[in-house]
Amino acid sequence: MTDAVRLILTLAAKDWHLFWADRRAALLGFAVPIVLASGFGMIFHTGPTVGAAPKLPLVIVVQDPGPFTKAVVEQLLKSPRVEAEVVTLDEAQRRVGDRRPGVAVIFPLGFEKLAAWTPGVAKARPRVEVLHHPLAASEGQWAEGVVSEAVMKRLAREKMAPITAFTKAEFTDEALTIPFVVETTAVSGSAQEHFNAYTHSFCGMTLQYLLFWGMESGLVLLRERRQSLWLRMRSAPVPLWAVLVAKATSTAAIAVLQVLTTFAFGYAVFGVTIDGSVVGFLLLAFGAGLLAAATGLLVAAVGGTEARARSVCILAILGVSMLGGLWLPSFVLPGWARDLALALPTTWAMRGLDGVTWQGRGLVEVLPNVGVVLGFTAVFLMIAVARFVTSEARRRRGWA
Amino acid sequence: MTHSTALLLDSIRVRYGQRLAVDGVSLTVDRGEIVGLLGPNGSGKSTTLAAAAGIIDPFEGTVSIDGVRRDQSANRYAHRVGFVPQEPALYDDLSAEANLQFFGRLYGLHGLTLRDRVNDALFRARLDDRKAARVSTFSGGMKQRLNLAVALLHEPTVILLDEPTAALDPVSRDNLFAVLYDLREQGHAILLTTHHLDEAEHGCDRIAVLEAGKLVACGKPWDLIRAQPVGRAVLYGHSREVLPKFFQKVLKKRVGSGVALEFTGRRVRIAAATQEALGKALAIVLSDGVRLETFRTPPGRLEHLVRGEPTPAAVPEPVPHPAEAPHS
Repeated sequence: MTDAVRLILTLAAKDWHLFWADRRAALLGFAVPIVLASGFGMIFHTGPTVGAAPKLPLVIVVQDPGPFTKAVVEQLLKSPRVEAEVVTLDEAQRRVGDRRPGVAVIFPLGFEKLAAWTPGVAKARPRVEVLHHPLAASEGQWAEGVVSEAVMKRLAREKMAPITAFTKAEFTDEALTIPFVVETTAVSGSAQEHFNAYTHSFCGMTLQYLLFWGMESGLVLLRERRQSLWLRMRSAPVPLWAVLVAKATSTAAIAVLQVLTTFAFGYAVFGVTIDGSVVGFLLLAFGAGLLAAATGLLVAAVGGTEARARSVCILAILGVSMLGGLWLPSFVLPGWARDLALALPTTWAMRGLDGVTWQGRGLVEVLPNVGVVLGFTAVFLMIAVARFVTSEARRRRGWA
Repeated sequence: MTHSTALLLDSIRVRYGQRLAVDGVSLTVDRGEIVGLLGPNGSGKSTTLAAAAGIIDPFEGTVSIDGVRRDQSANRYAHRVGFVPQEPALYDDLSAEANLQFFGRLYGLHGLTLRDRVNDALFRARLDDRKAARVSTFSGGMKQRLNLAVALLHEPTVILLDEPTAALDPVSRDNLFAVLYDLREQGHAILLTTHHLDEAEHGCDRIAVLEAGKLVACGKPWDLIRAQPVGRAVLYGHSREVLPKFFQKVLKKRVGSGVALEFTGRRVRIAAATQEALGKALAIVLSDGVRLETFRTPPGRLEHLVRGEPTPAAVPEPVPHPAEAPHS
């Protein structure tokens, strides 16, 4: 073993021992991404969509006492598509305001006039009001569709029975079923993809936590540089490059261990699997670990004071996490944000991890992602090293 | 014991930004010698020490140990220096043994050599029974002993100590000087900074006085004292605890502008123009609740030098060029 390698291992081992010196903090370092990923997974995991269709919860306000209106309301209450309940207007407004549920359908006075509707004869059309919570616009549209279906079925029974061989009594809901079948399939890339919200959460939250770990590691170095320990280091036969390489090595090693631990938990508890290339996954884990280390060195190099560095870092990490699709899939972002996200390493790392996990992609397919992550790492490292070398030279010459 | 020059500072000039912190300082430290760098705050003591430790590069002049210059071989130079910063430079979350092993490895020690040196250092620092304990659980004196032990691990030629007694009680200070005397006997060259005259006067073989970055006097303590007239009344003491900064400010206001009241860790220095003024200041300090463990009132004849008030007739002889200086 050469002296240089021995020196780097000595410095890295010191960081490793310091990390484990506070056992509880170290264990929390592994537990936090697991808790975050599990929490996000639980929130976004909707379970298998095959089988029972989800029901729309809504409340109904009946202001018109007519028989046609009553029949429509009964139709809605029996509908397998909704979970409905009749309430007063005041209560409906209050509950929609609280989003319990997010939608109310109101049949106002005068709705009964629809019973006299004749196809092809233009008249003033009766109103149906749909109230929805500001965050439940899509549920409002869903309610509109369900109400339309119920009203039109009722009208069809009333108006079409005379021109068919059925009596009104025979004209049941079954007879009025839509005369075609709709088949829905979730499409997510390739035939063997099995989307699992937990998998996405474990990829995203692990990456986000790695960046926080990198920041923390950088802040430790920043703190060390302001203490007498750094003076002792500078008087010792330890070149600056050895300190930086060792710091990057120890940070990356702990980061990779965090990735492996988090995914092992995800596999054991939530069935998070690597459906694609395991080698690709390991390369991405290694790349993400190095990215965390480079981020840490960048923080230590350009951070200024610890408090300033921490604030800026938190803002930056949360920003790149959100834009990079670490919290939610990036398709929910507007187009400009998705374009902007291509300039972020988190986007590429996330797409790579999604690729090798639930999308089942092969090594060759994720190599560009690995390359981009390593490219960003190299750029961060170059900036950090240049800044370190400059600032140390300035300190040594008494300019800083 | 040989008395060859170990550390040589030759006309060094160090700049901090626009400010000239060290201006043409020349100094030698021989093997088997303790030299005290003396001067008020901001006089350039620590900067001179940092230049000797290789932490900062002079923009003019050279620093060498046994003829090895840092700019020629940083690695060889670093192996010859043992630097002891003022604050203990240790990893609080590691044990005493782990700290020693880590710093020993930085200097290329390993295997049996490292183990023996670490055990020896722990024994000498009287920490062998606490070797597995975390440094964060140590007292200030224990940390300071370990701080010194770390610097000695690789057996450097020159030992540099920055205000080593600032945070120590009188007993720990005497113990530290006992260790330094041992090291002197073993042939190490020792350079330490202090701004307490009694410490320099009694603990050092030679004193180099800095003022505004310049070396204003250098010689054996008694030679410098003899050259001075009887000067200001001065008291050196140790308080039982480190006084809060705001309390220090209050005390300084209370004693008035004619009296110099200084605190360095637990150390207290009161200097006044007359014995009477000193007595009044001491009475104020004691009545305000400062508990002094020990104090003494030496003649204070070096005060003129350190306060920057040398009497023209009494200024010591110019310092000889280090390369030509006779070895004491």
